[in-house]
Amino acid sequence: MIRTELKRGTAELAILSVLESGPLHGYEIGRRIEEQSQGGLRFTLAALYPLLYRMEHRGWLKADWKTGPNGKRRRCYQLTAKGKKMLAPMRAEWADLFRALRRVARVSHA
Amino acid sequence: MRDWRKLVQERLAVQGQNNAIDESVVQELAEHLEDLDTESRGSSLTQDEALRRIERRVGDWLALRQGIEGMRQEGDVQERVKQFWLPSLVTLLVGWGILATLIWAGVHPYMTHPGNPEGLFLYLPWLVALPFVGALGAYIARRAKSQSWKVYVAGAFPAVAMFMVFLLILPWAFVVNPQVAPGLKATSIMANMVSWVVLPGIALGLGVAMQGMGQRRRPAS
Repeated sequence: MIRTELKRGTAELAILSVLESGPLHGYEIGRRIEEQSQGGLRFTLAALYPLLYRMEHRGWLKADWKTGPNGKRRRCYQLTAKGKKMLAPMRAEWADLFRALRRVARVSHA
Repeated sequence: MRDWRKLVQERLAVQGQNNAIDESVVQELAEHLEDLDTESRGSSLTQDEALRRIERRVGDWLALRQGIEGMRQEGDVQERVKQFWLPSLVTLLVGWGILATLIWAGVHPYMTHPGNPEGLFLYLPWLVALPFVGALGAYIARRAKSQSWKVYVAGAFPAVAMFMVFLLILPWAFVVNPQVAPGLKATSIMANMVSWVVLPGIALGLGVAMQGMGQRRRPAS
C-alpha cells in the first residue's frame, strides 16, 4: 500500500513538474519524464493514463484536443491554477522525505 | 501501417463485460502507440520486435482498463456527492437546525384545531425560512451542474427525509393501538403529513424554483 502511494506521489510530482514548462500530450509527458530523470523514471501507459485522468478529474490538469503541425490531433494536458498551486507543497513534502531518508538510511548523492 | 485504434479496442475489451471505454480514451492511447511505433522505426528492430517493445511500454492492459474504470467510478461517486448528497445534507441540517432553534427559543406552533389530532401543526417562522433553505440547496446543486430533478430533491430534502420517516411509521401506526378507529388514525397521519411534508415541501420547492429563476435572469459570467 505504502509502495503504491509512494509511486503515485512520485508520478504526480513528475507529471506536474514536466507540465510546468507548457502543455504536452501523453507520449511527450512520458518521454520528457524519462529524459529528465535520465531513464530513472519510466511509466508504462497502464500507470500513466489512469493517473493523468485522475489528475484531470481533480482539476489539477486540463486536457484539450489540439491539431499539431503534422495535422495530427493530440490530447494535450496543461496545468491549471489548482495544479500549479499543488506543485510547491508537493516539492517541499518530497524534499522533506528525501532529507529524512538520507538521515535514516544514510543515503547520499553519488 | 498497423491500425492502432483497433489494437487498443481489442486489448481493452473484456469478454462478458460492458466494454464501453470512451472513444476519446481509445483515440488517445492509439496516438500514443503510434508515437512509440514511430520511435522504434528509427532502430533496427523487426516489426514483431517493435510490437513486443510497444507492448512492454504499455504494461498490463487489464491494469490499464481497471485504472481507467476505477478513475471513472471514483469520478462518479465524487460527482454524486457534489451534485446531490452535499446539497441535500446542507438543506437537511439547516432546515431542521432552524426548527430546533425555534423550538429551543420557545416559539409555539400555530394549531388549526388545538387538541384535535386532525388539526394542522404549523411553525410559521420555519415555513417562512424554508424557501431560503431550498434556494441554498439549489444554489449548491446547480453550481455542481446537477440535473434538474436532483436540484429539486436536494432542495426539498428535509421534506423528503420526513416523508421517508412517515413511510416507516405508517405500517407501525396501523398495527399498534387497535382500539383507535382506523379512520381517525388515517386523518391524523394525513394532517401530520401536510404539516411536516407537504407544506415544508412546497416552501422548499418554491425556494428552489425562485433560485432557478434568479440564476436565469443573471447574465452568465
